[in-house]
Amino acid sequence: MRTRPQVASEPPLLETRALEKDYTLGGETVRAVAGVSLTVNRGEFVAIMGASGSGKSTFMNMIGALDVPTSGTLLLDGIDLASLSTDELAAIRNRKIGFVFQQFNLLARTSALDNVATPLIYAGLHAAERRKRAAAKLEAMGLGDRLDHSPAKLSGGQQQRVAIARALVTEPLMLLADEPTGALDTATSEEIMRLFGQLNDDGITVVLVTHEPDIAQYAERRILFRDGRVVEDSPVTNRRRAA
Amino acid sequence: MNLRRTLAGGLVNVGIALTALRTNLMRSILTALGVMIGVLAVILAMAVGNGAKVSVESTIAQLGSNMALVFPRADEERGGPGGGVGKLNDRDARAIERSIPGVIATAPQIRSSVQLSITGRRVTSQGIAITPGYGIVTNSDVENGRMIGDADVQSAARVVVLGQTVADRLFGDLDPVGQSVRIDRVPFRVVGLLAAKGSSLGEDNDDVVLVPLTTGRQRFTTSLKGPDDLSMLFIGFDPSVELGGGKRDVVRLLRERYNVGAGEVQPFTVRTTEEFQEQSGTVTAVFQAVLVAIASISLLVGGIGIMNIMLVSVTERTREIGLRMALGARRRDIRNQFLVESAVLCMIGGLLGLVLAIIAARTFEKLAEFPAPIGIPVAVGSILFSALIGLAFGGYPAVRASRLSPIEALRSE
Repeated sequence: MRTRPQVASEPPLLETRALEKDYTLGGETVRAVAGVSLTVNRGEFVAIMGASGSGKSTFMNMIGALDVPTSGTLLLDGIDLASLSTDELAAIRNRKIGFVFQQFNLLARTSALDNVATPLIYAGLHAAERRKRAAAKLEAMGLGDRLDHSPAKLSGGQQQRVAIARALVTEPLMLLADEPTGALDTATSEEIMRLFGQLNDDGITVVLVTHEPDIAQYAERRILFRDGRVVEDSPVTNRRRAA
Repeated sequence: MNLRRTLAGGLVNVGIALTALRTNLMRSILTALGVMIGVLAVILAMAVGNGAKVSVESTIAQLGSNMALVFPRADEERGGPGGGVGKLNDRDARAIERSIPGVIATAPQIRSSVQLSITGRRVTSQGIAITPGYGIVTNSDVENGRMIGDADVQSAARVVVLGQTVADRLFGDLDPVGQSVRIDRVPFRVVGLLAAKGSSLGEDNDDVVLVPLTTGRQRFTTSLKGPDDLSMLFIGFDPSVELGGGKRDVVRLLRERYNVGAGEVQPFTVRTTEEFQEQSGTVTAVFQAVLVAIASISLLVGGIGIMNIMLVSVTERTREIGLRMALGARRRDIRNQFLVESAVLCMIGGLLGLVLAIIAARTFEKLAEFPAPIGIPVAVGSILFSALIGLAFGGYPAVRASRLSPIEALRSE
């Protein structure tokens, strides 16, 4: 297993203890996440797997600071997310987490450059700096010649790379990818997964949520959810790697 | 620094707003139309109200600027019965002119409706029997010929000075000076043509004929009883005289002359042009307020349209809101984004409404010959007010958007 040297004082990137999340549906309380305790270290590439209804999405929303736990502890970069206000959670999402979605979630009729620059608006950067950083990230994704293209003029793979550039533009600690290849064909899926592999090699922590075993093979660690609990947490054997 | 960030953030939001408004162009146009009509109605109402003010003010200015008016009827303002026995005569006028300081001239008058005719034509007009003081007090002069003179008054001459409207109706383009005209069947000689005074508030200031006071006293049909009774007296004061003081002097003198004791109703009424201005100012302000209030209803409807469309926009863009929240937008960022969008939409509507209002007001001024001025404050105010409407009616949708749960917003289709 490849690991980044840990500084003694640096807390793990992600630590959950007895994490629970209840939902009330039609007057009935459903426990979507029922006591999850795990640690993700800096630089790891983790695949979270499970069938729909297994609690993996609810877990992902909580570690993405999009949702708050019902009980238990959730530490991201040593910060207890349960104690934060909505504005503070927004800042965490902005600075520490980069989201990649299945449907790309790019703003229509908005150029690739402006899409990538959007998180920087909420980081409070001025326009010139936003544009400079967004252009650099797009160039790093091999889209330097597509800055002015709107999403409609880009292929699925290109759109997902724009979305990844957007996730990376605030230099977050963790990429949180929810079924990032769900809307892509096999060849493009492999291309995107290799990209995640390269980014991970460069040091960023990647947490990937998927239900496809093939895709999970790109990660180094596999966590399987069932009925709101972790039923398996093991290193990936026969890992697929970037060429 | 903070302000700079706020401004920069606002600018970003304007960009986002314009993109969003372009996306649903037809809907944006229709919504802006609602605000446009509202702003148009309000501006026009203000313009017409201002026009009424200007018009009334010019009517009063036409009377003469620094002037007191005396009417021979009980002063209603002081609890009199109104229309009761009134008293006013030539001797009062002479006494006022003689003993009150600052009086330039007096204009004793007898007024009556008169019928004028030449062969084949007949018109009705307002007859005013005057002394030469009338021209001085009311700033009236002739364009052609001469005014009524002292000699005319002394000899009760059958001479007349015509207003432009009367002259036009009787003689057309022909110069009326020197012509003969019958007033209530008695032949008069036209000695002068008054300079045009135009119309104000729909009243034609040129629809008058002037005759000597003494002649009017013989010929006019009035309800006056005494041999030197008057139906009206204008008193012109020097511009330096304070009218309130002038009025007090006149009232004191007349009360003495008619032996009006303390607490008794005086048989005359004194008003000043200043009072007319104040009164008409109040009246036109109320008139304008009523107009604007009615017009505001359409602006309210436009505002409700804004709220409606912003609610639709928020619902349609729930996913975008969720995404922005995931990317780090705080609640206030989302709220401001939608507030700016609705303000921009309203300001576009307001601007269109202003442009249309200016065109409509100009057209109205030409067609109706009624002033409808739109000042810079109204123009700027209407745009700012439109933005305010946007903020007010966009407020609820914007707050609703900002309160969405990021996770539910992201999950929506």
